[in-house]
Amino acid sequence: MRVSSGRKFTKILGAELDKLVTLPLIGFILIGSFLLNLVLAAAFTSAGQQDSAGTQSMLELGLASLRYTQAGYIILGILAACSEYSGGQIRTTLTVIPWRGLQLSAKHLALAIITVPAAFMIAASGVLYSLFRMSNTAAGIDIGTMIKTLAGAAGYLTLTALLSAAIGSLLGRTTPAVVLLLGYYFVVSPLAGELLPGYLPDTAGYSMYMHPSAGEINARTPIEGTGILMLWTLLFITAALVLYRKRDA
Amino acid sequence: MRAFQAELSKLFSLPGIWLAVLIGAVAPAGISALDSIAQKEDIVAGISTRLPEAGFIGLVLGVQGVIILGVLAVSSEYLTESSESGAGHQITTSLTAVPSRIHVLLAKAGAVAVISILQCIFAILTTVSVTHLMLGEYTPSFEGSRLLGTVCYWVFTALLAFAFTVLTKNALIPLAVLLINSSLVSFSVLLSKITKLAYYLPDRAGAEMFMVMGDRIHTPFTGGLVMFGWVAVLFIIAAIVFLRRDVAA
Amino acid sequence: MLLYTWNHNRKEVLWLLTIHNLVKRRGNREILSGISFIARPGRVTGFLGPNGAGKSSTLRILLGLDRATSGSALIHGKAFAELPNPLTTVGAALDGSGAHPMRTGRAHLRWLARAAGLPRSRVEEVLEIAGLTNAAGRRVGSYSLGMGRRLAMAAALLGDPEILILDEPVNGLDPEGIRWIRTLLRERAASGNTVLLSSHLMGELAETVDDVVVIHHGKVVADGTLAEVTGNHSTLESAFFALTSERGGDVS
Repeated sequence: MRVSSGRKFTKILGAELDKLVTLPLIGFILIGSFLLNLVLAAAFTSAGQQDSAGTQSMLELGLASLRYTQAGYIILGILAACSEYSGGQIRTTLTVIPWRGLQLSAKHLALAIITVPAAFMIAASGVLYSLFRMSNTAAGIDIGTMIKTLAGAAGYLTLTALLSAAIGSLLGRTTPAVVLLLGYYFVVSPLAGELLPGYLPDTAGYSMYMHPSAGEINARTPIEGTGILMLWTLLFITAALVLYRKRDA
Repeated sequence: MRAFQAELSKLFSLPGIWLAVLIGAVAPAGISALDSIAQKEDIVAGISTRLPEAGFIGLVLGVQGVIILGVLAVSSEYLTESSESGAGHQITTSLTAVPSRIHVLLAKAGAVAVISILQCIFAILTTVSVTHLMLGEYTPSFEGSRLLGTVCYWVFTALLAFAFTVLTKNALIPLAVLLINSSLVSFSVLLSKITKLAYYLPDRAGAEMFMVMGDRIHTPFTGGLVMFGWVAVLFIIAAIVFLRRDVAA
Repeated sequence: MLLYTWNHNRKEVLWLLTIHNLVKRRGNREILSGISFIARPGRVTGFLGPNGAGKSSTLRILLGLDRATSGSALIHGKAFAELPNPLTTVGAALDGSGAHPMRTGRAHLRWLARAAGLPRSRVEEVLEIAGLTNAAGRRVGSYSLGMGRRLAMAAALLGDPEILILDEPVNGLDPEGIRWIRTLLRERAASGNTVLLSSHLMGELAETVDDVVVIHHGKVVADGTLAEVTGNHSTLESAFFALTSERGGDVS
């Protein structure tokens, strides 16, 4: 019985991966965010060079663009979830895979499988670019720190994509989900800044790859940040699962 | 005129438009309130450098509402994301009801412009009263010319979103680009650190119609003119594309 | 006869669809008020009713898409989600294509095949059966209504299922497509499979079905063989109008 349910999950996961890979928008968004990230990394690097050199570490310059690029991963997550509701595909999906909890979990896992390498590449490309540009000024960089920071950045993007997918699945429609999430990540959160508690998904996740400047009170270690963002993601995925199992398709 | 009324009734029967109107009406006041809270100490102490911006910050960031309005007005004609796939592309119906495409486009743009003017006036009223409430006697004066600039900024932004969406036929890309760009972490602000050309981007130039910025290079009038130029060019391109395109494509 | 013995062996796994006392409420609106009927193997059962009578809701509950307020809709005694491999047991085509418009027809069938563990060659087979081989590389969004329906049929046939559940299968099809569906359904029933289809096209239905279930305002108003339901009326159509307009009175 165990074996068969394991095989069942593999099949569903395969189907969900197929769905993501054959959706052209997903590819566009991944490539688009990669290119945009390079352009922005270039912009940040030259802006950083004009500033008094050395105030910002190269890692931070290379990763600063992720503030924008995370939008691509937010949209990626929303699309992965909401594409089910286009063209009545959800009915096809559920008549083939009527085990809703399993299906939605497989979808999130499939999304993570695609996001992890893409997120790692995007973060690494930004850092490598600024490393390359500033190689003459920089005084060597610790490989260990770099790997840790990159892993943190990739983890942040992946968890953000999963969180967005869960919210997309809760709302069921692309546009409200995009407005809600982009509005939160890009308008409400930066603006309200200090008024909001530090354990919200974006502020906590930020500490996964950005090291707080000395003066900050709410500073968290990367591990704490990861834990908090993971909790948020799991919370929303659970809510999405509960609702998905209950509602009429 | 009848086409215009038809467009108005089409817009108001979309739930998304009501969301946009709500955001446009509430967000500026909310943002100004947040900003006033954050700034109050400095303002009272007389050391704030941003006093003339108080209140207006809400109006420059609160254009989200009209962006959603402009995008949805167009994308709703093309994309229907309902569980019943019977719902098709409304654009076919629109163009058979009013066969002249340029009339449809102008009527729709007119409807968007009128709604965004009303929305902006409402937002100004709420924002001014909220700022008065928060800052009391320290409230800066809201000059008529700057408020007029705000209205222009909103209408131009709505029309930019509108024309952009005619080109993409899809809500996702314009919504993501414009929402992020109208936030605190706008691309234009970043780019303006690198190249002077960024001052000619529509949002940066348009904001000078009413924001007092340290590094301004336009007068309010030329700023408005630059933004209007963008609107005109983009709108003409959108009109040409819309007139030539096969509806089904 | 060979066919008979094959049929006979399958008797133990009767692919019955049993719908018992199905009630569905949405808010205050009662969409189904106690629907009961059975669709038998080896027969084509037509599910008939005016727009909004509750046909699609019944099929959706049977497929586990919607939840019943009370009552049951079972496939061989099991709820849909308890079937070990749904795609090879039940093929379903509800309205539209059921595919994301940005995907190609082939890609749509491929992920379905992947979910059910079927080989990719089967995808090409059903594309051929549905006459979509030439359009398989195009995006579903560019398909005509009829091609979308053919894709939905291809998806339903993918697992070569014992049961077909089809909502308005001929809707949007050209005459050739209609004949294709009719022959296909007759063949499936003749080889012992169960076919349940909903329709409001009376003439078409009369040519295809063995049994008829008529529903109106969420209630079954007639249930039996085609001859029984037609009764004294000259055609199924006049029987249908007699059945559904008699009841028209109790709406107001």
